[in-house]
Parts: sequence; C-alpha cells; structure tokens
Amino acid sequence: MRPDDLKFQQTHEWVKIEGDTATIGITDHAVSHLSDLVFLDLPAAGASVTIGESFGEIESVKAVSPLVAPISGEVLESNEGLSDNLEWLAEEPFGKAWMIKVKLTDTSGDLMDAAAYDAHCKAEG
Amino acid sequence: MAVDGALLAAAQTPTLRLYGWAPHAVSMGYFQSIADFADLPGGVPLVRRTTGGGAIYHGDELTYSLATDAAMLPRDLAEGYALLHGALVRALAGVGVRCHRATEGRMSARPQDRWCFAHPVMGDLVTERGKLCGSAQRRERGRVLHHGSLVIERPELTPFVAAIADQTTPTAIVRKGLHEAVIREIAAALALRPYHGAISGAERDLAQQLQRDVFSNKRHIARR
Repeated sequence: MRPDDLKFQQTHEWVKIEGDTATIGITDHAVSHLSDLVFLDLPAAGASVTIGESFGEIESVKAVSPLVAPISGEVLESNEGLSDNLEWLAEEPFGKAWMIKVKLTDTSGDLMDAAAYDAHCKAEG
Repeated sequence: MAVDGALLAAAQTPTLRLYGWAPHAVSMGYFQSIADFADLPGGVPLVRRTTGGGAIYHGDELTYSLATDAAMLPRDLAEGYALLHGALVRALAGVGVRCHRATEGRMSARPQDRWCFAHPVMGDLVTERGKLCGSAQRRERGRVLHHGSLVIERPELTPFVAAIADQTTPTAIVRKGLHEAVIREIAAALALRPYHGAISGAERDLAQQLQRDVFSNKRHIARR
C-alpha cells in the first residue's frame, strides 16, 4: 500500500509536500522495473529543480534514466547516503530512500493521488 | 555519439544506425570516473557517453544504435536487452559467427573493471573466448537510445575481448553481410520493415549542437 499522504507523477516520482518544503523520491513501481541499480546522481544543496525537468539520473542494467522533478524549487538537502546504499530503494522507497528535500516555488505540476497512481501503474503493466 | 544523441531526441521514426570509429577512441560510461583513464596511451581520444555501463575501446568494430519510442521495446529492461541481443545472435549466425547470451550472474552491478568487456554480465553476447558485444542505453522523455559494439578485430588495448575474426575472416563481403543481417534481424525483432534513410537537417543541426555543448565539453567529459 503506497502512503496516501504522497502525490505521484506519471514518470514514477513521489512527492510529500509539508508547508513550503517537499521531499521527493521514486516509487516502488519504478524500482521494480529498474531492477539492478548501480549509480545515482543527485543535485547539491542550493541547486534549482524545475517541474518536468531532470533533477538527477540513475543507472540500472546499463540504462541511464533521468529523475523528473514533480515540483520546482531550491534543493535544501540531498540524501547523501543513498548513492552508496541503493538497496534502500527496494527496501524503503518511500522512507529512508528519499532523494531530495526542496524549498518549494511551484507545485502546479500534474500530480496524482495514490489511488490514481495505482491505476496508472496497472494500465502501464 | 552526438548523432546518437540527436536521434534519441529528434528521430521521427525508429532509427537504426550502423557506424565505425575514425580515429579509434575510448568511450566511457556516463557514471564512470575519468581518473580511471589517466593511463590511456597518448593520442587516444576519450569521450563520455550519455549511456551507462563500462568503457569500450572502439577499434575495428560494428557500432549499432537504435533510437525509438520506449513503447517499441519491452517495458522490462532485461527483456529489452534480450530482444535486441537475440537479434544480434541471429545476425552473427548468418555470417558464421556463433555466440550466445550469457546466462550467469546479475544483469548489472558496479563494474569490477573499467572496461565493459572485461567481465561479462548476464545477457551479454559471449563466445568461448569472451565478450563479443557490449550494449548500453539511455532512456528519457518516453524515448530509448540503445547502442552497442560488435568487435570485428581484437584491439591491442583490450586483448580480453572476443572478436568476429576469431571465427571468420572479416572480408568486405563478410562485413557487408553482417550489416545486412543486423538490419534484417533487428527490424524483424521489432516487427518493422526497414528502409534506408539519411540524417535529416534537424537531426544534423542537433548533433552539431550536442557535439559542441556536450561531447566536446570538458565539463561533461570530466563530470565524475
């Protein structure tokens, strides 16, 4: 069961909005399709992220994929331990495998609740 | 590399490109560390791919790239590699080269070695001699770039690789036959009918921009 206090986007990132800050990660569905994860790049504190644009990249099975920002803002913190502990993504994709925390400037992206995201995943197969 | 990047971004139809390298050069994977290549012989060009995996010395080889919508390939990454590598096994058999997809190990892991071909992973094309073909992907905005190297003659810099020349003399006729077989088998695997085309003006302009802004950019090459 995915946490119902999160929002999701079609590219399989999740976002938890609390006041004017947001925490972002990738979903269990994304992790299961990516399978063997080997490398991760996340932005440094102070970097800007923009809705619909890449905020980082991940490599699995020799495929590099961008991580797409669901909101815009300034990065407050990146999860520095994650890139050396990518198994956290399979263990707790919505918990200790958070990727970045952002000070929000724009939340106008196309976000879904957990039920709609479940339906989206089923439709994708 | 820049042309492959342009096709990923801008090709309007599924596009298979076959090419070679002049001069011969080393390409690093996107996440590799440039410090690991400080000992390359002088004069060997070094580029950084935007796809994953390890480094390849591109000597006498057939390089192939496929740029297409992600929906054309299986959603599961491993199944996508299996589809395309299966096509290459059949293409190689057509010119008398026997190989198979490695069935041992994981699909991927942090490389034990800087060289892509040094340690085959599951799904790679291998012969008794070693790894014959290495492939990698980049996926973005619903598109996929899948490219790889089929080694024709074993390079001195990477003596551990298998080569087509281990099993057949790579004459001009064999090379032409291999090109035709790769086109035929990859098109068949995707259930598409191939036809010859040329790079478009828009693709060429984008390739020139990518060459200037990315692949020739020292910041990109030295990003890690």
